[in-house]
Amino acid sequence: MAANKFLRCGKCLMITAVVAMLGCLAFLYSGLYPMGADVPHNGLTYWGLETMRERSIARAASAIEVPNDLASSERLLKGAADYNAMCASCHLKPGKNQSDFTLGLYPAPPNLAQKGDEHGHDGGHDDNTYALQRQFWIIKHGIKASGMPSWAPGHDDERIWNMVSFLQRLPELSTRQYQVLTARSDSTKERVH
Amino acid sequence: MRSKFITLSIAISTLAFTLSAQAHDPKEHMNNAEKPDCAAMENMDHSKMDMNDPVMQAMMKQCMGDMEGMEGMEGMEGMSGSEAPQGDKPAQHGNESSTEQTGHNH
Repeated sequence: MAANKFLRCGKCLMITAVVAMLGCLAFLYSGLYPMGADVPHNGLTYWGLETMRERSIARAASAIEVPNDLASSERLLKGAADYNAMCASCHLKPGKNQSDFTLGLYPAPPNLAQKGDEHGHDGGHDDNTYALQRQFWIIKHGIKASGMPSWAPGHDDERIWNMVSFLQRLPELSTRQYQVLTARSDSTKERVH
Repeated sequence: MRSKFITLSIAISTLAFTLSAQAHDPKEHMNNAEKPDCAAMENMDHSKMDMNDPVMQAMMKQCMGDMEGMEGMEGMEGMSGSEAPQGDKPAQHGNESSTEQTGHNH
């Protein structure tokens, strides 16, 4: 009797799962989900994608070893020039609050000239070491379907750490400081090998 | 003979692909780069500068050529990252106040 009930219940669950799967497939193929970057995700999709992103990065980045000379002026200078050339058009700089990319990309790239709690894309962690590991991982590997490319092809780890170094001081820089640090002076040219 | 030709072709095309995907040199960014605007630094009160702040040190390095002979700047010339004062220690952040002292906040 009990076995019969269990079988019936199992059958019901199986049918429900198949119907749900077919429903999902039908939705995928219907083309009803708005894919344009000018229409935000619904709350459930956004939560799902964000949770998956943060959990994935946390798992992958936790073992990364952080160099102990991240605050050096040499790293700062090298990272500054690369940030200006490669990142500033999307992630902005002191004195600039928006660009075509920040207006048009979805999700909008965080304004890294602001502190983490201001732009709200710091992953919600208070652990400073993890924040560094996370930034390094994101620059190196990029994030799927977000507009953030992987900079690993063409940039070694040291160069990426230099950018992480610069990011730590970026929110407190004035426009003039930013200009001086990111410009390519003759002495910068000599430093770059 | 034919397999040798195929192997050689694959090797050449792989090499071409690899070379095209290699790191871009930082010098590539320099072609249309602007020079640092060091004029503002010359007007700053150097007694209030924190020379231990890596941001300050980095700015000095950038402007070394322009600021030669300035009061208080002697000895900074030719300073490398390893020779830089205490600011190159791993302590991250915590220099907000010293950055304020540069007088660049608007």
